[in-house]
Parts: sequence; structure tokens; C-alpha cells
Amino acid sequence: MNKIIRNLFIFLLIVFFIIAFSSSYLSLSMDNLAYVLVIGIDKGEDNNLEVSFQFSTTTKSTESGSTEKTPTVMDSVSAPSLSTAINLMDSYMGKELNLSHCKVIIFSEELAQEGISEEIYTLINDTQIRPSANIVVSKCKAKFYMEQTSPELENLISKYYEIFTNSSKYTGFKPNATIGDFFNAIICKTCEPYAILGGISTEKPQNQGNSQIQQNYDVKSNQTPIEGENGSENIGIAAFKDDKLVGELCAIETSTFLALRNQVDRFLVSVPDPNDVKSYIDIYVTPKGNTKVDIDTSTTSPYIKVKAQFDGRIYSMSSNSQYLDPTILNDISETCNKYLEAVFTDYLYKTSKDLKSDINGLGKYALGNFFTTQDFDNYNWTNNYQNAFFEVQIDTSIKSSMLITET
Amino acid sequence: MNLKNIFQKLFTYEPPVEYNFSLPEGTQNTESNDNQAVDSVSDTEETINIFPSLNVNLEYMKTKYNLLINSDVILRQFTINARGKQYNAFLVYIDGMVDSEIMDKFVLEPLMLRNKSNLYEGTQSKVISEAVANNITVRKVKKFDLSNYLMGCLMPQNAVKEATDFDTVANGINSGNCALFVDTLSLAFDIEVKGFKQRSVNSPNNEIVIKGPHEAFVENIRTNTSLIRRIVNNENLVIENLEVGKITKTKCAICYMKNITNSDLVNEVKYRLNNLEIDSLLSAGELEQLLVESNALGIPEMISTERPDKTAKYLLKGRVIVIVNGTPYGIIMPAILIDFLTSPEDSNLKVNFANFLRMLRFLAAFITLLLPGLYVAITSFHQEILPTGLLYSILSSRENVPFPIIVEILLMEISFELIREAGLRVPSAIGPTIGIVGALVLGQAAVSAGIVSPILIIIVAMTGIASFAIPDFSFGFHLRYFRFAFVLLGFMAGFLGIALGLFVYISFVCSLRSFGVSYTTPFAPTTESKGNGYLLNPIWKREYRPSYIASKKEKNQAKISMKWKYHKKP
Amino acid sequence: MTKSKLGTIEAIMLVLIIVVTHTISSLPREILVLTKSATIINLIFVSILAILFSYLIVRLMKNFAGSDIIDISEYLGGKVFKNIIGIIFILYFLISSSILLRNFCESIKIIYYPMTNILFILSLFVIAICCVNRLDFNASLKTNLLILPLVLASIIFLFFANMNKFVPQRMFPIFGDGLFNTFVIGLTNLSAFGGIAFLYFLPPYLKQPEKMKKIALISIGISAIYLMLCVATLLFMFSFFINTNEITPLYNATRYIEFGSFFQRLESIFLLIWILAFCCYLSITSKFAMSIFKKLTNIETKKPLIDIFGLLILAITLVPKNYAISDKFETEIYPYLVLGICFGLGISILILANIMKRKQKKIQANSQTIS
Repeated sequence: MNKIIRNLFIFLLIVFFIIAFSSSYLSLSMDNLAYVLVIGIDKGEDNNLEVSFQFSTTTKSTESGSTEKTPTVMDSVSAPSLSTAINLMDSYMGKELNLSHCKVIIFSEELAQEGISEEIYTLINDTQIRPSANIVVSKCKAKFYMEQTSPELENLISKYYEIFTNSSKYTGFKPNATIGDFFNAIICKTCEPYAILGGISTEKPQNQGNSQIQQNYDVKSNQTPIEGENGSENIGIAAFKDDKLVGELCAIETSTFLALRNQVDRFLVSVPDPNDVKSYIDIYVTPKGNTKVDIDTSTTSPYIKVKAQFDGRIYSMSSNSQYLDPTILNDISETCNKYLEAVFTDYLYKTSKDLKSDINGLGKYALGNFFTTQDFDNYNWTNNYQNAFFEVQIDTSIKSSMLITET
Repeated sequence: MNLKNIFQKLFTYEPPVEYNFSLPEGTQNTESNDNQAVDSVSDTEETINIFPSLNVNLEYMKTKYNLLINSDVILRQFTINARGKQYNAFLVYIDGMVDSEIMDKFVLEPLMLRNKSNLYEGTQSKVISEAVANNITVRKVKKFDLSNYLMGCLMPQNAVKEATDFDTVANGINSGNCALFVDTLSLAFDIEVKGFKQRSVNSPNNEIVIKGPHEAFVENIRTNTSLIRRIVNNENLVIENLEVGKITKTKCAICYMKNITNSDLVNEVKYRLNNLEIDSLLSAGELEQLLVESNALGIPEMISTERPDKTAKYLLKGRVIVIVNGTPYGIIMPAILIDFLTSPEDSNLKVNFANFLRMLRFLAAFITLLLPGLYVAITSFHQEILPTGLLYSILSSRENVPFPIIVEILLMEISFELIREAGLRVPSAIGPTIGIVGALVLGQAAVSAGIVSPILIIIVAMTGIASFAIPDFSFGFHLRYFRFAFVLLGFMAGFLGIALGLFVYISFVCSLRSFGVSYTTPFAPTTESKGNGYLLNPIWKREYRPSYIASKKEKNQAKISMKWKYHKKP
Repeated sequence: MTKSKLGTIEAIMLVLIIVVTHTISSLPREILVLTKSATIINLIFVSILAILFSYLIVRLMKNFAGSDIIDISEYLGGKVFKNIIGIIFILYFLISSSILLRNFCESIKIIYYPMTNILFILSLFVIAICCVNRLDFNASLKTNLLILPLVLASIIFLFFANMNKFVPQRMFPIFGDGLFNTFVIGLTNLSAFGGIAFLYFLPPYLKQPEKMKKIALISIGISAIYLMLCVATLLFMFSFFINTNEITPLYNATRYIEFGSFFQRLESIFLLIWILAFCCYLSITSKFAMSIFKKLTNIETKKPLIDIFGLLILAITLVPKNYAISDKFETEIYPYLVLGICFGLGISILILANIMKRKQKKIQANSQTIS
């Protein structure tokens, strides 16, 4: 008898707990969720946000195993805040939105200029969101950007978004800007946030693609000479100050940015040929060790010394050049140094004078100069950065070339 | 049952029921109403000594063995010729259990026929020694003793015992001996003439190895002990016999190495075996359950094996083996967790492969126990851990499935268990059909009918295959059983439920002790001896016996076992 | 029931489990908030202090071989004093573990079970604890021994997996909020070594009591390294712990782990391991509390206490009205509890008892010389 009661008690307990947890179960079960892959946030009318969500319908795998390209579904809603938008969308979809597989968050340029900290806080406070979700600031409307994005090689759009920043490691044309870093940088006193600059390749202004610009990689989203199925493009950086968009960086500046942050494996620069001013040499530049930054904070104008070392490999050369000749290589090294120094200095002054934003996080090198947090706060790094002076020292050694035959 | 009782049950003091190896105080706890029935049986059976009168004995045996209705018990009356005198006698034996040729040639023939010794007709006593002192001759005379005479002269048999009470006689008869009662003697002879049909030594069915002997135990205890003795081949191997069970008096053999095995361990095994108040013991599996300290999880705490070589290996490590007559299994005790994940194959293989297999089995145990639960937990609560691509393939595979995941997985797991059970029970000719039907119908058809998702089939199949990769059947069973608990816990509260369940499970496993050896050694408590460990050392490095067995000889082999390699030639 | 004796490694793990569970909850955040970028220096300083303290404790306890703080307090102040000290420690164990449980469950609720009432999550834990407490003490220790290495490994993994996101410069400005803040106010961080509380109760359980010194030093040393790893991970990775309040900071760090695009968001696995550690902690503290209770009341077994203590823990966890209150307790009261009870009370009892013993010896010696 006793045993029966005990068993009954245990059974009831199990049932009770299953019921108690069922509310969570129902709201979190796979069948009851709609997985958002991309969120796009635009500025709507009347101070509202226009939030677009992109989903992917499930792949119908056929018997033979071949899968077709999965269509994506996009819905947008206009709401005063992001959470309200999600809430509205929940009721529209009939399924609860789950952000745990959201790969990209897109803000329109218009909104970003006004500040996006509120949205970022909302998103980062959601336990579902991945800190590794990328942040894109699109030159056009976010919704339009999402519509235009149609990956050419991947079936599933999420796969495209998972890997689309990978190329930054070897091109240096876009940063791997994640929401985690973004949030970190908003709060951080020594750095400013940044995002990927997105745009539409079809919208480019005409007569921009002349060869000079191309050689200097002075391109950014919306201005690239790319044509293809995929309507969107992501080149360059959207630089923020606090949570407001303050400027854009082009491709070569992005490479510099990444090189300063030691986040790029190699990138291509076109250096004028020392022998022939009109022609250019393509050099693959590989950072050698970390960039050294030294900051003197004795005055309110910080004096910043940047020292970087690169290995270079010649990628292409104009005809009749001898890449096995050490003197020629030396010449190229020097031109390369000069070129890179110019690029770095220009870039750094641009961040401090134009953007007034330390997106490079150079402030962290200044931290060591202070003993207490109070001292550092008094110094007011974020404001003083705009007075900064830069000295860039680049040491490139051209190893040899990647060429097999002399041209 | 009122509330007060429940409260009392919950909060009042109960005497501890923990059994401790070193302090055997568990005798009080066995008192309960249940063993009254056993007692009443035992009370009636008093030992009755054999009567001097043959007729009384005859009548007694007739009633004891229900001769009027019992068909296979045979009572043969005859006359013994001894020294020219004739004595009435009878034999009792069970037909079918004795070898009738031995019976005829070596029992009846010498007793009944006149032969040389029978012819001797000295009625006088035999003078052993004579001494003359004070003109009185003192003769030490050996009186004619029929029993000695019979034993010494008339029974050309290797195994004859004298018995004075009926119980011993009956035991002998029941096990295939024949009993000889002779008039005027208040004892009986227990003559071994066993000759029943039995299975010959076969190759093992359930524990198959590739590199290793192909011999398995049979039902007969003597054959089994001889199999072990042939492998161990040492006089230090002691095989003690015990009888368990009031009615069946099943023979059990306790085998151990006298110079290796810890004597406390042997005594403990004997103590437990001797203190079993049961009527019958039919198999090793029953004995196993009777000897364990606690059975909270149903984890096997002894290894049962059908392989003599495995038995011998453990024997030489310092463990105790119990063999039960009538079961082709030996029980190795004590056994700890890692023993159930080792196969006799391991030591025959090169050490890296053996260790690879051991890691694989560890993984298999993990998969069997947790994989379905983890699947349920992840799909119900923690989808973020899945890569998006995988998430979408699960989603798309589940698109047409009407059931929630928990129903789906229980459905498939239970039907998997059904197929397994049916495949075991079905006559062997139909066996393969079950497999085909199971695999085809439940695998392919269920998917195309949209009842379950293909990914789930993979999960269930993985679990099933992993459970078969565990060498010990009962351990695999235990894991398979508890995976349902983890499925429920995973369904209930995701990883929280699984973690809590795992914690309780690990704690229970940690609290287990098999014959005083902590079940989770050598992981917890950690032991520093080199002989422990789950992974094998190279064979030349296996110098020590496991320290948790506390064997008398610590070392297995010399420090340099491969002497030839380091032996310097003169 | 025989007294279960525990080996050296088990004892070390036992002391470690307190530190480990507290770091999983909100301890690293408290440390970081208190000392900002000077945390690393502060921790080194505090660890040295903690090691010294533990050495002191071991030294002082040496004179009372094989007896724990309860016996010593009985020696010092008789039955009443013994009861008072015993009850203080029972309450300390119960309250600190329950509040920690509450906090941990609150964060679990936020993360995974938004719809479930906190009561159910709590009672799941309590049921598991009640089940396990029926087993003997050794079982818990062995479980702890199996689980703790997993947790330590998870933290080391966390450290190395996030290494590419580290900004080591965040440890500057080196003195944080100034010297005073780092070395005087920062002393509160000593409360991170709450594991010292178990040291007072270890001696009767030890298999080799002479290794007490080794146990104390190694366990405190490992806790220090462990804390350092946790705090370094957080300090180097995030800029915001200095400024903002986050629940379960280590959990936050696990979210950032990624290996390629396949292995991302592994946090639930970490949580699985941490829940295991948490259960260990709860069962061990409640078992300690029960064994103190048993010692005070001289009852024969702990069995009748199991459910009562389980319910007690559940009751205490339900006392705080919301997370804010329980968190406040953990961040503002608990450190002082540790400092007061583990360091203040315990050591002062030991010192007084030692003085008394010395006096008695003198008196004895005197009386001997007189006689």
C-alpha cells in the first residue's frame, strides 16, 4: 500500500513537472518557432521603425537528394520599437519569432545616422541573438538591400550570410563587424563601433569606374564596378561615433583599418611602379607580427606612433621587369613603404579629423600610460583623439614574387 | 493510509539498511514475514540417520522418493556376496542420470558375482599384531568390518563416500549418484556413477571474439571448473563447493587463487553465498541478483561471462569466480564500471587498437544513454546550438510529421525495443525476417508515410547500434533502460533536466559498491596505482594488478618482462 | 554507517567546488566591478592573502588534530558556545547555498525557461538534492571528483577559445580606481575564497590528516588560478563588465565562442556542465550542514534530516521577492558573510582556542612542577 502511494506520488510529480515546464516547452519547441535569418531596420514614418524579417522556408528534399534553391520569405512591419515589431510579427506569422539563428542585422544609413543604440541594446539583451551576428549599414533602405541579396552559390541564404565576411581575411575589403563587438565598442571608452558598409550594385552612379580609382581600390559599396546576380555588395566600413554613423571608409581604408587591428591575413595593394610611373604593381601584403602602436599622452593632443611590418609578394608586374633583381625589389619595397605610409597616415587623419572617431580602438594603447581609471577619464580620450598627430612607419620587405615566369 | 503515516514515513527515523562489507551487521534486516514459508519447509526436514535394518531403510527410501508414482527412480534389490556370506542390499538411483554401463560393470558385478575376494571364507578375525607379555598373548585383532571390506574390496570405484544420514544420500542420488544400502550397516554408500547427457563444450554464442579461444562454459559445473583449471594450470587455484537453495541444493563453485585473491574478499563471497535463505537457485542470473548490495539502478555489479578465458584472466587478477551448476555462465566478482566496457578481445590486440576500441565503447555508452535525450532537449529548448544548416534540415525533415518530437522519439525507441525483443524470442528461422520487417517497415515506410522524420531514424539507429557495441549485455540493457528517463527529462526541462538527471545518476553510480570495491574506481576515488586505469598500458608495462582488488600479490610480471630484449649475452 | 574517509584529491576538489559555483554565478562580476582594471593585480594580492590565511588556519588547527571547528569551539566555550557556532555555520551554509541557487535559477529562467515559474526550477534542483542526499557522503565526494574536472576544463576551454578576442590592454590602467581602492577596498574580494569554510570541517574526514597543509595550499592555489582565468577572460573580452551589470558573466563569455560557422553558441553545453557542478555544491553544502546538525544533536543518522533540509533550502530560496533582492544579497551581504564567518569568526575561535590550550599547558606544567 505504502509503495503504491509512493509510486503514485512520483508519477504525479513527473506529470506535474512536465505540465509546469510545458509552457516553456511550447514556446521554445522547434515546431512552434519561426527562425529569423536577417533583420533589417529602416526608418519609417512618424518616427516609427520599419522592421523587415527574412525567413527561409524549409528545403523540400526530394527522393534523389537534390535540393532546390530555397525561397526566402520577407515580411516587414512598422512599429515604434524593435520589440513591438517582433511582437506584431509574432501574431502575423502565427509562430513565435526566434532570433537565435539571425545572422545579419541591417540598418539603413538614414537610421544609423540618428543613432541605433536602442536597437542594439534590445538585441543584445535578447538571449537568443548570436553575438556573432554581423551588422551591416546599408546605403539604401535595409529592406531593399535584403530584397536584392540573393546568393548565387548557396541554396540557403543563411549559409551565404555565415560566410560572406570570410573574404575579409584575404581581401581586407570588409570588416567582420559583429553585434557583440559593436555593443562592446559602444560602451568601451577607448574605441568606437563600426559596421559593414552595404549597398546595391545596381544603383551605382555612372562614370565612376575609371581605372585610376580602381587601381587605388578607392571603392566602397554602391560604387563598385561589380555586376552580377546578387544585387547587394558589401565593401567598406561604416564608422560610428558612439551610436551614430559618422562616415564611410573605402576598400583600401578598410584594409588599413584591419591591418591596424591585426585582423587581416593579407591584402592587395597597387603600388606605382618605381620605374614606370604610369603603371602599377600589385603586391600582396602580409602583416608580419602585430602592429605596434605607441601613444604619447603628455599633452591633450596625443602623439601616436604606428609601426607596422609587412611582407610583400609581387602579384603582377608590368612587362619587362626583373623581379629577381634585388635592387629592383628594394626599390619596390621603398615605394611600397611610401605608398602604405601615405595610405595609413591619410586614413588615420581621416578618422581623427573627419570622423573624430577612434574606430581603430587605438585608445587601448594609451591605457597603459595611466595609473588609475580616474586619470584616464580625466584625459578624455574620445575628445582628444581628434587632436591626434600620427607618425606612421611602415617596413615592407618584398620577399620575391608569386610569379612563375618573367613577363 | 492516512496522512500521519505518510508523514511518519517521510520524517521518522528508520534503522539504516546500508550494508557494509567490513562490518557485516545486516543479519537483523533479513527478518521479515516473507521467509516464514521457507522456514516451515526447513523445519520439517530433520536429518535422519540411516537405520541398521535394511527393510526400514527400504521403506524409508520408498516413501522419500515416492517410488510408487515416481517413474525414473529405480530401486534395485540384490544380494551381496562377501566372504562367503550373503547380505541383502539395494541400490537406489535415478534412471537417466547414471551411466548404466558403469553401474553394471563396476557396481553390480563386483558386488553380486563371485570373484576372488568374495571366495575368501575366513570367519575368523584377522590378526594384525601379536605381542606376548607375562605369558598372556595380546592379539590385536581386526574384526571383520563389512563396510570397510565393501569399500576396500568390492567397489572398484574412484568416488565412493560413506553417508550416515538420508539427506546426504538423497543429495547424492539427486545429482546422479547411486546409493547402496546393505543390511546390518547403518550407513549407505554414495557411489558416483554419473552419466547423464549433457552439452559438449561449444564455441561461445554471445561473447564472440576474433582473436582468442573459442570455448564456452556448459551447464555442468565440473566441466566448467575443469575448463578453468586447464587454463590456470596451477595448484593455487582453489575451487570450493557450496550448495545453495533448500530444495534444489544447487551446487556452486567458488574459485579463487589462494595466493593472489584477497582472503577477506573470498570470505565475504562465501559469507554471502552461505547466508541465502532461498528454496531454489536456478541460474547464475538469479544468484547475481541475490548477492548485490543495492539494486537502485539495476547496474550489474558482477560480470557474468560464458568464456573460460575471460574468467581465468580475472581470476589471475585476484577476483573471485562463482559458477552455478546448470548455467553456462561464470560470475566474476567484484566488478566495477570499466569492466563492463572491456572485452576479452582487448588484451589480445595491439594496445593502441585496444585503447581505441575502449574509447569507442565509452562513446557508445554515452550515446546509448544520452543521445535521444539530448536530441529531444536540443530540439525542444536549445535550437541555437544547432548550426543553421542542420536546423533547417531537421525542420524540413519534420515538415510532414504530425507528432511532437517526444511522441515521435518514444514511438521509434519503443518499436526498436520491440523489434529487438521479438528478434530474440522468435524461432531462429524467422529471426532474419524480423530484422527485415523491422528495418524496412519501420525505417523506410514510416519515413515515407510521414510518421517520423528521417533524422530521428538516424538518432534511434545510432542509439541502437551504440547499445550493441557495449560488450556486456546487462550493462547495455541498463543503459537502454535509462535512456528513456533521459528522454523524459530532456523533454521536461531540456538541458536542465538532463543535467539534474545526470547528476543523480552519477551520484547513484558513485554510491555503488561491489563487494567493497567502489564502483567508479579508478576515477573516483582516484587511485595512484599503475595497475588501474581504463586504458591499457603496453603489455610489457602491465606490471601491477589493479590495486582496488587488494590482491595479495601486487605485481603481475617483472619490471622487465621481455627479458630477451635486455638480456645481455655473456 | 562508517565514517567515510576522503583522500587528498577529493578534499582539494571539495574546497574548489565553492569557488567554482560562485564564479559561475556572479562572483567575477562583483570582483570586476569592485576593482575595475586593477582586478588582476588585486587578485594576485588577495590570493596571496588567502593562501596565508589558509596556512594560518592549518597551523592553528594542528594543535587540535582530528577535530573540526565545532569540537574546538566546544573546547573553548562549552556546549552552549558549540551550539551557537554550529548553528551559525549551518545557517551560513544553508543561506549562502540557497541564495546562490536562487540567483542561478533566475538566470536559467531568463535564459531558457521564460514561461516557467521559478518555483518549479528551484524544486527540480531540490528534488535532485534530496535524492542524492540519501546516499552517503562519499558518493557526493566521488561525484564531485568526477564532475569538477569537467568544469575546470570548461573554464580553461572558455579561456583559450576566446583568446582571439582578448584585448590584453584592458588590464590598464593598472591601478584601476587607485591604490586605496585596489588594496584596501579590494580586500572584500577575499570573499571569493569562500571554500576556506570547508577547511574548518575537513580534519575529521581526512584519510591522511597530516596532508591538511598540502590540501589547503593546493586548493587555495588552484582556486586562485581558476579565478584568475575567469576574471581574465571577462576583463580582456568585454569592456562592459566594468560599467554594467550582467547576469552570469561567464555564460555571456561562452556565447562568443565560435569555431567556424558550425560550432557556435555552445553555451548550453557549458550550462549543462555548470548545472552539474551546481548540484554538487548544493548537495555537499547541505550534507555538511546536516552533519553539523547531527553533531550538535547527536542523532543517529542523517536520514530524517534529508527532506527537512531540502525543504528548508527551498523555503530560503523563495524568501527573496525578486531577482534584485537575491542579487543584492549575493553581491552586498554574502562577501561580508564570508569575511565575517570564514575569516573573522573561524580564525578568532582558532586563535582563542590556541591561547587557551597554551595556558592550560602552562598550568599543567606548573602543577606538575609543584607536585
